[in-house]
Amino acid sequence: MDAFLQGFQIVLQPMNIFWVVIGGFLGTIVGMLPGLGPATAVAVLIPITFGMDPTSAIILMAAIYYGAMYGGSRSSILLNTPGDGSAIAATFDGYPMAQKGQAGEAMAISAVASFIGGVLAVFGFIFLAKPLANFALKFGPSEYFLLMLLTLSAIVSLSIGKMVKGFIAMALGLLISTIGIDPQTGVHRFTMDIPHLSEGIEFLIVIIGVYAVGEVFYNFLTIDKVKKEKKKVGRIWFTKEQWKRSKWPILRSAPLGFIVGVLPGAGGSIASMMSYSSEKQLSKKPEEFGEGAVEGLAAPESSNNAASVGAMIPLLTMGIPGSGTTAVMLGALIMLGVRPGPLLFENDPGIVWALINSMFIGNIALVIINVLLVGLLVKILDTPAKVLYPLIIMLAFIGTYTLSYSTADYFLLLLFGVIGLFMKIMDFPIAPLVLAIIVGGDMEQNFRMALTSSNGSFSIFFSSGISITLIVLTVLSLFYPIVINKFKKKSRNNDKEAISA
Amino acid sequence: MKAVKIGMPLLMIIIAGVFLISSFAIPKANLGNPNGPLYFPIGLSIFMLVLSIIYLFNELKTLHEHNGKIQGLFEGRTLKLIAVTIALGVIYAFIFEPFGFLVSTIIFLGCLLFYVNGWKKWKANIIVTVSFSFITWYGFSELLGVSLP
Repeated sequence: MDAFLQGFQIVLQPMNIFWVVIGGFLGTIVGMLPGLGPATAVAVLIPITFGMDPTSAIILMAAIYYGAMYGGSRSSILLNTPGDGSAIAATFDGYPMAQKGQAGEAMAISAVASFIGGVLAVFGFIFLAKPLANFALKFGPSEYFLLMLLTLSAIVSLSIGKMVKGFIAMALGLLISTIGIDPQTGVHRFTMDIPHLSEGIEFLIVIIGVYAVGEVFYNFLTIDKVKKEKKKVGRIWFTKEQWKRSKWPILRSAPLGFIVGVLPGAGGSIASMMSYSSEKQLSKKPEEFGEGAVEGLAAPESSNNAASVGAMIPLLTMGIPGSGTTAVMLGALIMLGVRPGPLLFENDPGIVWALINSMFIGNIALVIINVLLVGLLVKILDTPAKVLYPLIIMLAFIGTYTLSYSTADYFLLLLFGVIGLFMKIMDFPIAPLVLAIIVGGDMEQNFRMALTSSNGSFSIFFSSGISITLIVLTVLSLFYPIVINKFKKKSRNNDKEAISA
Repeated sequence: MKAVKIGMPLLMIIIAGVFLISSFAIPKANLGNPNGPLYFPIGLSIFMLVLSIIYLFNELKTLHEHNGKIQGLFEGRTLKLIAVTIALGVIYAFIFEPFGFLVSTIIFLGCLLFYVNGWKKWKANIIVTVSFSFITWYGFSELLGVSLP
């Protein structure tokens, strides 16, 4: 409790509140740009944190992350173009609401739903994080290796229909992570006698390359086709009736989103889809879903924000990111000198609780930004993409330079931009690549340490209850797409039977 | 379109093959298990190679299916936009340090904006280029203390 209050004091320092507001605002703007999601926002804005003290930098980073989540739903509601998977559900009823001239009401209810979802999830975080960190202390190298394997296989399995591509992306990411000097033996691997490669490929460059440059390249495909839509914002606050319809869906979706967020590989997209479909089933007027039902927007918004807080638990307690966006957050934290893991709660409680409390303050600031500045945000969204994309490219280059102070990395940035573009075109999931590059080094080291401790015997991976559970979960996650496909086929057959009857 | 469809799995096969061959060229370690640094890359490149071959066969099966995204790549000025951005990025890499941040960024961003946004909007392009280059320089170099050339 003391640490919690201490964290609150840190966040309430005027300078940190200032950073929360700035981060929330910038994150909202980048997250709002069509086609660009929270991962891109965090990747492009990471360099802003350079030169700051770690606590303020983390607070700013988290504010950017949440801001981008809020921003993502703005473009879903106004333009029908979600920035990432977790904002897709917001298009189902948010966009129809905007088409009916209720854009302002939709944005207000989405901001309030996100706020409530986020805040409720913070309470969940407070209760769950410490016990989980204590549990994670029992993990040895073999358990860590298996946990990373589970996370990777879960994230691949969840990209249903793209499993082969997902595993290729994962293997490529893991291989890229082996480039450089091997930390255990000092042996150079795949460095091709290029001194710049001996330290390995900086994963933030890969992230900025595939997310920022790759996304801009991908958006070039449609840049001349995008038609400008003028939206009437209408009133900027929701009605009592809308609130009455939304409050229970919001409250129900928060715990669901939080739990899904904690699970490896799941995250915001699954959480928001699950709460959307469960609310549709519970609703007395399911036919209104998809036509601008306010609860169809409120529920997934609450759920995906709760999931984004939930995803912080495995990230901070075990150093395991559950999604592409949290992988980028992990990259940012490592760059700031913070090593997430169970010991973080022992060694640096100030940072952890400052971050958690910044979620409270950040959510409050974001509601204010998103409700009061609706007009300004809509105007920014009117800025032509043809101006915004070159600016994103410029920021990507500058961000890359500030990472290593070497323009040699510009070539790597462009290379990964092209890789990101072709991955998107050929329907490869990008999260497994990014996640693999980030956890790859640790995964290999833990694998080898486990084998060294057992004198080369693989039985070490079956030696504890935790290990066996992780293996079972990994195997189950691989069968998940098959089960889902069977389930879908069965329900399709049932539908056909119902129609023919 | 077919070239891209087959090209991607072939590229993945080549990448996996290069990693696999280079893995055998990794020197033996003097510390610990001499083959320690080899296992992970060899295992992964074989895994990637097998999957890339499966991917190739999957693509061959659907070779004639339409893919709007690949088509979009060859439509309009998409390829030119990407190529010009890459070319400007390469030039930016060479002039960044000798010309300094402000001059090189104004050249890079200016050229990119004129190409992407068109010559007709020259006023907006110039205002955005100069103001954003200056704001970024001021923000990084003065406010955040990042040393820029």
